[in-house]
Amino acid sequence: MPISVRDPLLEVSGLSAGYGKIGVLHGIELTVGAGEAVALLGPNGAGKTTLLRAISGLLPRSGRIRFAGKDMSATGPRDAVSAGLVHVVEGHRVFTQLSVFDNLLLAGYGLPRSARVHQVEEALAFFPEIAEKRRDLAATLSGGQQQMLAVAQGLVQRPRLLMLDEPSAGLSPVLVDRVLAAAAQLRRTGTAILLVEQLIEKALATVDRVYALARGTIVLEAHAGEADLPNRLEQAYFGQDAQAPLQT
Amino acid sequence: MTDLTQAAMLATMPRSSWRARLGKLAPFLALGLAGLAFPLLGDSYWGVIVTRACVYWVLVAGLNMVVGFAGQIAIGWVGLLTLGAYTTSAMTAGTAMPAVSPYLALVASAAIGGVFGLIVGMPALRLRTFYFAMATLGFSTIVTQVALAWKSVTGGGIGVPGPVFGWPFVGDWGFYYFCLLLAGLCTWMTANLAASRFGRALVAIRDTEVAAESSGIAKPRLLMIVFLFSGALAGVAGGLFSSLQSYITPDAFTFDLSVLFFIAILIGGRGSVLGPLLGTLLLTALPEIAAPLVAWSTFLYAALLLAIVLLVPGGIADLLDFKNRRPLEQHREIVPRPELLMQLLHGKRGETLSLSGVSLRFGGVQAISNLDLDVRREEVHGLIGPNGSGKTTTLNVISGYYAPQAGEVRLGKVILPPQAPQLRASERIARTFQTPRLIGSASVVENVMIGGTIDGRGSFIESLLTLPRHRRDEAVLRERAMLALLTVGLDQLAEVRADRLQHSELRFMEIARALMLQPACLLLDEPAAGLSAEEIRRLGVLIKAISRTGTSVLLVEHHADLIFDICDRVTVLNLGRVLAAGTPDEIRSHREVVSAYLGA
Amino acid sequence: MLESIVSYGLAIGAVYALIGITYNVMFSASRVFSFTAGMLGMLGGVLGALFIGKLGLPAIVGFVLVLACGAVIGVVTEIVAVRPVLKSIEQHLYVLSTLAFALLVQQLTAIEWGTEAQPFPRLIPIGSGWLDQQFWLPLLACAATIVGLEFLYRRTLVGRAFLAIAEDSYAARALGLPEQRLRLASFALAGVIGALAGFTGGEMLLAFFGNQSILSFYGFVPVALGGMGSNRGAVIGGLALGLFQQAANFLVGGIFAAVAVFVVFIAVLLLRPEGLAGATLSRRV
Repeated sequence: MPISVRDPLLEVSGLSAGYGKIGVLHGIELTVGAGEAVALLGPNGAGKTTLLRAISGLLPRSGRIRFAGKDMSATGPRDAVSAGLVHVVEGHRVFTQLSVFDNLLLAGYGLPRSARVHQVEEALAFFPEIAEKRRDLAATLSGGQQQMLAVAQGLVQRPRLLMLDEPSAGLSPVLVDRVLAAAAQLRRTGTAILLVEQLIEKALATVDRVYALARGTIVLEAHAGEADLPNRLEQAYFGQDAQAPLQT
Repeated sequence: MTDLTQAAMLATMPRSSWRARLGKLAPFLALGLAGLAFPLLGDSYWGVIVTRACVYWVLVAGLNMVVGFAGQIAIGWVGLLTLGAYTTSAMTAGTAMPAVSPYLALVASAAIGGVFGLIVGMPALRLRTFYFAMATLGFSTIVTQVALAWKSVTGGGIGVPGPVFGWPFVGDWGFYYFCLLLAGLCTWMTANLAASRFGRALVAIRDTEVAAESSGIAKPRLLMIVFLFSGALAGVAGGLFSSLQSYITPDAFTFDLSVLFFIAILIGGRGSVLGPLLGTLLLTALPEIAAPLVAWSTFLYAALLLAIVLLVPGGIADLLDFKNRRPLEQHREIVPRPELLMQLLHGKRGETLSLSGVSLRFGGVQAISNLDLDVRREEVHGLIGPNGSGKTTTLNVISGYYAPQAGEVRLGKVILPPQAPQLRASERIARTFQTPRLIGSASVVENVMIGGTIDGRGSFIESLLTLPRHRRDEAVLRERAMLALLTVGLDQLAEVRADRLQHSELRFMEIARALMLQPACLLLDEPAAGLSAEEIRRLGVLIKAISRTGTSVLLVEHHADLIFDICDRVTVLNLGRVLAAGTPDEIRSHREVVSAYLGA
Repeated sequence: MLESIVSYGLAIGAVYALIGITYNVMFSASRVFSFTAGMLGMLGGVLGALFIGKLGLPAIVGFVLVLACGAVIGVVTEIVAVRPVLKSIEQHLYVLSTLAFALLVQQLTAIEWGTEAQPFPRLIPIGSGWLDQQFWLPLLACAATIVGLEFLYRRTLVGRAFLAIAEDSYAARALGLPEQRLRLASFALAGVIGALAGFTGGEMLLAFFGNQSILSFYGFVPVALGGMGSNRGAVIGGLALGLFQQAANFLVGGIFAAVAVFVVFIAVLLLRPEGLAGATLSRRV
């Protein structure tokens, strides 16, 4: 039941990846259209973070990845970023020893000097809360502000597809809404989003389409508005309880 | 069942058969005979070189335990050689106190070498690699500086005459036999050690310190003994060296020598005795065979070191390991035999593991707060929850890696000491790890034997001299390990190098290692990750059967189906707190759990 | 006597501090403790004596050449001894590979340059006593290095990228920073600093292949005391070590000085493995 995507920006097929001998992902098929927002759901341990790492090239992988018409199956994160495929990693990992502004300048490392400052200001415009603190060390920001900074870092390169890994983790509900609202706002400007999120309801309110990942494979693909989605997700996660009772 | 027991016995047989043992001994016997017959050639020039090789080997044999087995990068061991040489020379020459017999001085050198080996080794008890390497390098630098400065005893730059050993080892050939005897003794002792639980424990410390700790191996104590032993041998080698040189100055102890010792071990291969022995012979003889290269010898050693590190990390020993190049069967199946569990775990008692009021905070993050948890005997208890809910942290508190800020962990009536992972094994708490922890270069059965280390009764000395208690330990451990491998279904792979196994096989190997402890309580950290559906089903049967022998089992797992299939009770964590606890059916229908777990 | 303790102690201390900084610069970008720091110091002296003393090049040309050689050797170190082992699971292989590389260079020096210590030319023939070049040159070099590094880290984007990689190389990679090129650059920079240490300390230490192990160890002591990665710790520790050594040499003799340094080193490693000012160890499981 794959849903056809009109104008595919990211196409992943037959993607497998893992850590050393441990295979985590097995033959992933996934598509994100231009300007589309897609959520990647699944219980923990399913391989969501691994999938984002494999797509952005932070992790060695096998399979095919096409982005904006170019083959990106063997490229590293640096090429992905310059092609407009930006990955905001989990756990708001900003550089605490640098100022907010310097953090953003680094995100524009490959840009020409003149464009760099301009695009940093553009990214800051999304988050007035941290724009005020541009001279402060990132270490002095709260967890929510650090997450905003991490997202802002992702924006500096004017991505065509922004991959956000659990931007809500560890944030209070108000801040979660704030961060997801920024994602929605970004979407309206035409940036595609691939969102890994634990909070299903909030994720569904933000995106057009969802994939569910369990045990390293895509187990469900649906439109965000489909009825009965939570129940179908539950079944997809827990698997059919078809096994015979165990005896000892 | 008796058939299978016999099978377990039979599986241990081929190794102890005479033919196999002879095969292992043959190279040593050949070298020993060649050494004994060597003086018949009457070539005194080569006599000196072979004597030197023997002296070097006395040091390298001990150093091999530190570098090759324990994996500690001791690059400045020449400092201990210097110390031994000056101790023996000064005592025999009487520059510091009345002169004594060279044999007595040699014993004193061993003692002093041992003490300083211990002192230099101390940083390795807390720190790995570079700091320790630097400490040994600094030691060798400083010993040379002191030798230069302490003129009244060492003669400063002018030097001091080396000792001449008297009866019964008279003359050059007498001295040669003396060195050969000591070299043979060192070979025998270190080979014994290598094949003992101490040797395996050292390698475990090298390759997987965490698993070593959880098996009850006390790293500081074991390393201290090894540094003492290795230092003593270096002291003896120093005494012999000074006699061989007949006159010693600080110039004789260049860093090049240290490099030679070190590289002999790496060329030979880590974790082998024969390899480094051949390496020592090779490196000692090399400059003599290729005379024009003498000036370049250290340069070549360094090039060799770089090449080995980058190209053949296994050394000679790996190149000679033909057995492990035979291809393994491609489609292997793991078929556990839970019915053997009663036999494997007989005589042990399960205990209830209970956490009460446990809280732990890292900086600003409350990882777990006021956690109560009871894992009863004969029960599989599942622990689930979203990422960051505190599952692994809980496991690490139980196994003693973290000290909770409040609350306590008990097994039965015993309160478990916080932050003492190496003391869990003696309470019969065993665990497995999220990523399998293994000694890649050791065989599967040896990996499993690590789990039973604390049940050995013999001492270090008994193993060194292969006394009866040591032999009994080895037989017991090996038999139990084979039974454990039969139980988890890996008996066919017992003699295979562990790093050749598939991921799923390593998971079962870890369980076998944990079972070696005959655990009262078993902690499993995501044992099903990376397994196929059928393997997960078999794993489930095995885990459940383990619990039914009385063991309390705590299972941290993401595979919800496995949890709901085999657990007697399930606890759900969220943000470090218990969200719900109950039977699998209760949990499945618990609305809050479903929403927390699914994130709705 | 006090004058010579202070002037000589500070000068040798500045050399130790620079070697310590060399360790730090390499460590920050790669998490690798490289044995090549002492080697770079040794080469700074030998190459300086070669270019200026033997070949008779003008001092300034020789100086620039020495630093350039340092940079090249830094780059070669990264390519030959660091990059191949960073991928390996065995984390300590770099100790062996960098040691082997350092030994290779040292032995080559011993063969081509000779094993005797040779004089280093006097570059600036003004000043005597404690105003002699051999005393203030290392201090000047140390101060200039600190100022230069501070400028690099605080004022330039490349410098901030170094800091970013040092703090979290995974996040830096995800942002698209050219981690490999930055690591290469930091090894080149370390090469320059190490060669500078040896060059400015050349008149004092002479051009001698054996300086390598001495500088390796005494340059590492301030780093161990001050905490890995802390340049401030390296400078304070280096100067203190130099002063202490000279004072002990003059007052109680060389045996005591050597033994005392070693005892302090071991004691700090055992009691405060993270250094006197460093952070604690991270989790292992």
